[in-house]
Amino acid sequence: MKGTIFVFSNGTLKRKDNTIYFEGENDLKKFVPIENTIEIHIFGEVTINKDVLEFFSQKEILLHFYNYYGYYVGTYYPREHYNSGFMILKQAEHYIDPIKRLVLARKFVAGGVRNMEKVISYYNSRSVDLSSTLEKIANLKQLITSQNDINQLMAIEGNIREIYYSAFDSIINDENFAMEERSKRPPKNRLNALISFGNTLLYTTILSEIYKTHLDPRIGYLHATNFRRFTLNLDVSEVFKPIIVDRMIFYLLNKGIIKPKDFDNSLGGLYLKEQGRAAFIEKFDERLSTTVKYRKIGKDVSYRRLLRLELYKIEKHLMGEEEYEPFLAEW
Amino acid sequence: MVYDIAEERVNKVLKISRKYLDWIQNSVLEGEITKAKFEKLKVELRKVINEEKDSIIFYILRTTLYSEKEIIGRTKGGSKLII
Repeated sequence: MKGTIFVFSNGTLKRKDNTIYFEGENDLKKFVPIENTIEIHIFGEVTINKDVLEFFSQKEILLHFYNYYGYYVGTYYPREHYNSGFMILKQAEHYIDPIKRLVLARKFVAGGVRNMEKVISYYNSRSVDLSSTLEKIANLKQLITSQNDINQLMAIEGNIREIYYSAFDSIINDENFAMEERSKRPPKNRLNALISFGNTLLYTTILSEIYKTHLDPRIGYLHATNFRRFTLNLDVSEVFKPIIVDRMIFYLLNKGIIKPKDFDNSLGGLYLKEQGRAAFIEKFDERLSTTVKYRKIGKDVSYRRLLRLELYKIEKHLMGEEEYEPFLAEW
Repeated sequence: MVYDIAEERVNKVLKISRKYLDWIQNSVLEGEITKAKFEKLKVELRKVINEEKDSIIFYILRTTLYSEKEIIGRTKGGSKLII
């Protein structure tokens, strides 16, 4: 299983003896096996030269950069190695045709909502009564298929998400981690900070997986394609946020792994401190390598693999081979 | 992976192994590796060692389920995930 490296220290990333070498403060020296690395997340102040970037391109390794507050800054996305003009045309065709675009956009929303329901009903069966939340989501869910406009669809999705997030307080049941309302840039409370950080990690992980397919991350369907950013990874993340990020947050809080002291209040927002981030990342990595039974192929697959399989399903849909059905958690 | 290599070749062996595995302490490396990568590693190593004199041993565990690692004293190689 290929691994991910997270760099929190300050220092220099180098190519040495044909592998990755990190030289940091306090006499820190570390070799990282290049053959076992797929992506590097950089949070610290790291110096990089062209030599090492060339090396990463050759080995098809992505570098994700984050600023001091853990916000996503950008990705070093090496030259595409799976060049497929055909796939780009198909992706564009499904974007430009409003009906085809809507079909995919609805799938992402519907998939996300079904997984939200899964998470809620899981906790509903474990002593917390969330039946009214489930009812409200079920009512709104019916509207998804009748929406003929992306913006209206996103509005419905927003409403469902609001109801979904409002159930977090009863699941977590800790006033130090109250939801109140979803706030971003900057997150106003601890729970929002955790959600933002988790979602960011998921976006970049999916981006790394997209790199290994023929898909172009710049063309998304639910999220409008624009001049600024990758959007396909945002679309796919809708399906997986509830089952990967949200459930992990409940786990971290209910087990007391992340505590109020792991947060820092600065620039009017709340951010996770380094130690909290490290704890979060360790759990995130563990979660991605957790395996679940995948009925269709009758095998155990990791969540990371599941993300890739989802992308293959989208490829099949674009090529007209098989209609895309978003992943639904089966536990 | 543990090795016993004559001094003039030991550095070459270490350099090759570091591309595939995590360095744990002198002459010891460990890590998860695919079958194909493992073959690649062995091919590269065979090119530099003297099979009459040097020795490399791989302990292969198919699962970590029944294995345990106990360390006494200083841990030399740090966390794998976070630098």
